[in-house]
Amino acid sequence: MNGIHDIGGKHGFGPVVVEQNEPYFHEEWESRMLAMMIACFGAGVFNVDQFRRPIETMKPGHYLLSSYYEKWLCTVEQNCIDVGIVTREEVDARHKQLMKEKMA
Amino acid sequence: MINKVTVEMMPIVLATGDPARVDEPIPAKFKEGDKVIVLEVNAPTHNRLPSYIKGKVGTVTFDHGVFVFPDTSAHRKGPKPQHVYTVTFTAQEVWGEAGHPSDRLYADIWDDYMRHA
Amino acid sequence: MALAQENVLIPDVGLRVKALESLLAEKGAIDPKSLDLLVEAFETRIGPKNGAKVIAKAWVDPEYKKWLMKDGTAAIKSLGYSGVQGENMVVIENTPTVHNVVVCTLCSCYPWPTLGLPPIWFKSAPYRARVVIEPRAVLREFGLEIADDVEVRVWDSTAELRYLVMPMRPAGTENFNEAQLAELVTRDSMIGTGLALAPGK
Repeated sequence: MNGIHDIGGKHGFGPVVVEQNEPYFHEEWESRMLAMMIACFGAGVFNVDQFRRPIETMKPGHYLLSSYYEKWLCTVEQNCIDVGIVTREEVDARHKQLMKEKMA
Repeated sequence: MINKVTVEMMPIVLATGDPARVDEPIPAKFKEGDKVIVLEVNAPTHNRLPSYIKGKVGTVTFDHGVFVFPDTSAHRKGPKPQHVYTVTFTAQEVWGEAGHPSDRLYADIWDDYMRHA
Repeated sequence: MALAQENVLIPDVGLRVKALESLLAEKGAIDPKSLDLLVEAFETRIGPKNGAKVIAKAWVDPEYKKWLMKDGTAAIKSLGYSGVQGENMVVIENTPTVHNVVVCTLCSCYPWPTLGLPPIWFKSAPYRARVVIEPRAVLREFGLEIADDVEVRVWDSTAELRYLVMPMRPAGTENFNEAQLAELVTRDSMIGTGLALAPGK
């Protein structure tokens, strides 16, 4: 698809910003996301192509602003829904519950 | 079919990965040295063809063998195995005068994305 | 509309990851303990030191280098580095007349077993958009000035091949052993946005 991910040759993104001494993970959830991705891949939830597809269909604004691990969440979640392991409603409900618990 | 990855399986998953290679004697449509034109693939479905090389003329530089085809694989429609080649483009073929005369671009391209020039 | 589909960042994204992980664990699709193991592997064993050992060996061992250039996957696997995102490896050699640099414009493909996880800049829009159209300007930002008569080759990892750049062996390292040489091989030198370090730097 001619998606927002296809950015080779585009102008206007500004300089390449290099973070010195970049840690492997900036937050713990990023490491969980990496591991969950590989575990789901290993379990047969998706292959490399099925993994990429939902990232490319993210809304352009979301795609450009989100970190790579947030993109991974989108595709792992979508693939788990596609193969019938979870439903969007279940993830939404659990997410809301955890946010509520955090506020309490 | 979901097979949960256990602690014991994890090192194997990590060390094996997803080769995406297909061990089938599929004939190659192109050979090294062939001049090719990259097709205008504009389907709304998944592909692995960057827009900046569509319609450009390049040279087949290396045949990597047979791989799963992303366009079908991404949509759970089977592997449609075919050859993948590294194709070389001059920077000026791709970018016109914005390209440096000395420079080249290399992209890996499946059979179905090209025709002979 | 579901949270993950909105045209903004996911609120409290870490908690949504936690939500998904807990659901997948409850449904028996993942084992959280195997996730711990994986994180540990990336934090301790999988990184550019692996790739540096490959390059250093190729610098001192002509037979190994020949094998590495011909069958990167097998030669790299012989040192113990293989698997996820390193399934099909191709090594490309810098010379006095050719400078190679690697990108993945469509996503962020990167050879994990030899280089670890990619830095944020490699996955970022500016690098992916620009290095294909103005590689010399991007390399200049990394401190590399490439002479006009040197050919810059930009490799866009559009398929399942993963590229590792073999930087030139620095001058003045004739008496260095493999371990000393490996210290000079930086991550960026194996992406192509840097050179191997000069000895003593």
